[in-house]
Amino acid sequence: MYLTRDEELILAGEEGESSRKAMELVVALGKIYGAEDLIEITSAHLSGASYKTIGDGGLKYLEDMAEGGAKVSVPSTLNPIGMDRERWREMHIPQAFAEKQLRIIELYKSMGVSPTCSCTPYLGDNVPSLGDHVAWAESSALSFVNSYIGARTNREGGPGALAAAILGRTANYGLHIDENRRPTVIIEAETDGSVFSYSMLGQAVGMAVGGGIPYFRGVEPTVDDAKTMSAAMAASGSVALYHVEGVTPEAGNFDISGLEKVSVGAKELREAYDKLNTADDIQLIALGCPHLSRKEMKDIATFLKGKKKKNKDVEIWFCTSSKIRAECADEVKIMEEFGPVLADTCMVVAPIEGIFKRTGTNSAKAGNYLPTLCSQDVVCRDILKLMEVVL
Amino acid sequence: MILRGRAISPGKAEGRVLKLNGTFSFLGGVNASTGDLNTGEGNVAGKVFVFSGGKGSTVGSFVMYDLMVHGKAPAAVVNRAAETIVTTGAVISSIPMVDRIDIDLLFNGDEVTVNGDEGTVEIKGTRMIRVVSSALLNESGRILLLQRPDNARSFPGTRSLVAGKIEAGEDIESAAVREIFEETQIHVSKPAASMPPIYVREGDIVWEVYPFLFRAGDQEPILNKENVSCGWVAPDEIKNDRSVVPQTNDVVKKMLRSIAGQQ
Repeated sequence: MYLTRDEELILAGEEGESSRKAMELVVALGKIYGAEDLIEITSAHLSGASYKTIGDGGLKYLEDMAEGGAKVSVPSTLNPIGMDRERWREMHIPQAFAEKQLRIIELYKSMGVSPTCSCTPYLGDNVPSLGDHVAWAESSALSFVNSYIGARTNREGGPGALAAAILGRTANYGLHIDENRRPTVIIEAETDGSVFSYSMLGQAVGMAVGGGIPYFRGVEPTVDDAKTMSAAMAASGSVALYHVEGVTPEAGNFDISGLEKVSVGAKELREAYDKLNTADDIQLIALGCPHLSRKEMKDIATFLKGKKKKNKDVEIWFCTSSKIRAECADEVKIMEEFGPVLADTCMVVAPIEGIFKRTGTNSAKAGNYLPTLCSQDVVCRDILKLMEVVL
Repeated sequence: MILRGRAISPGKAEGRVLKLNGTFSFLGGVNASTGDLNTGEGNVAGKVFVFSGGKGSTVGSFVMYDLMVHGKAPAAVVNRAAETIVTTGAVISSIPMVDRIDIDLLFNGDEVTVNGDEGTVEIKGTRMIRVVSSALLNESGRILLLQRPDNARSFPGTRSLVAGKIEAGEDIESAAVREIFEETQIHVSKPAASMPPIYVREGDIVWEVYPFLFRAGDQEPILNKENVSCGWVAPDEIKNDRSVVPQTNDVVKKMLRSIAGQQ
């Protein structure tokens, strides 16, 4: 692998221990994926924020990094944490968990990472442009920025993305390179146009093709549709980039003649739906996987305005970023009548196992992870259908 | 002897091999406070931990860090093929790591030195011996297998191709031709196929084996004392079990495919 003189010096420790360790990691990862050199990045998005997922090993790692003086050199945002910073008691979070979680956030802050913790930084906190090279972790977010925006990132892991953020560089391989962004399969898709049907479409496509780079025809996803579809495809499969004819910026760049075609319509969406639904009743309705957008907040508030929550046995969590919660004060007021609007956390990375057993969600991504990461049985429905339970 | 792979995580370490044959997930696979493998197959602390490659949750990288914090990390990691999770864990935890190593050549308990800067694994107390191993192909498409005596020094009682040591200073192809004549009285000239060397571990010896394929025409073997019997065998009848010297089947199939490609 070719390193510039400056990069060699960093590897030799000239810029301190934390930069040397970061360079060792970026170089090692580049090596195993055949990178020829490093490439400058304009932003990073880091996973490994919830104490629930990274544990004591991860916490100690961050403490050592921070103590070593690690500082990010490009704008960097962080994934959702295991609780709302202020309202964790409403989420039934134990004190000991809360203390460690708050410590993790402090450590990232001390390294210069933006303290907003969201899986949708592309909605305002960290927005790349077409052609930008970035180093993003969080499978749903990196797929969105690769696909809908046309920025370029591989599927970075937490420490790899942090190392790239410190150096302002990542290894140049995979989806950073034009040729590797070529579609591998055509999806003849059909939805009913609802956000929920795009979630099921993502689930069905992930189930059908696994990985690769799907090229969609027959659909016109909006930002919210693409948000949930990206998340679903990265959870049921390992899709990190897709194109949509007439919608995504790079769709027209490739000759797609001769590619295999797969039809994904009502039947496949139904199969995806059946696979995700494993419960009949629910104790918690958790919305915001990925985090609710301004439009989703508005739609939910409009629907709930003037209604009353009748079923007190079912809790509702609305999950969004602190930025969007702050911007949507009117909507939040209406929604709070039904349940807390939680910032910078979600039901998947919060320790809800032991508190709830059955959770309702409108997200295929959450439907994939709630059983494995949170021991939940799942009801997966459109938001309005979920709300019927409490109205 | 020294195995050459690829440097992944820098540093140098010595230790005894703890080997698993498959892929491994640090999350769920090991207790981070004690180093005990959850399958009961041993403890990774201070060992040269050898396995095919990583799998499972990305949190596995932090489990490796946690092992290091508890003083229970492996001394080094050796993989066939490195992936993100174990690579990340090894680098952040300063555990030397090398990949692209044929882990079949490493045995549990071997004393080894892993050099994560050079990408090498040195196995102490082993030596390498260079040998030729030739498949003879007759006119009906059959391969000659020789039966070794039960008191043979290497792989006793098994069936093998026509094999023998390369003498000091001897050209490899000439060694193959010589061994074939000594053991079977069959004359051959140029090989129809050959392969880069393969490596087979037997006790303290690593055999560096240079495979060849020669056409024997209609010649029939006349054995010397080195082998007890022989037979022409259809390629599909060569087994993958312990009755045959390791990798014989693989090597024969590969060379037959290569001559099929030439025709």
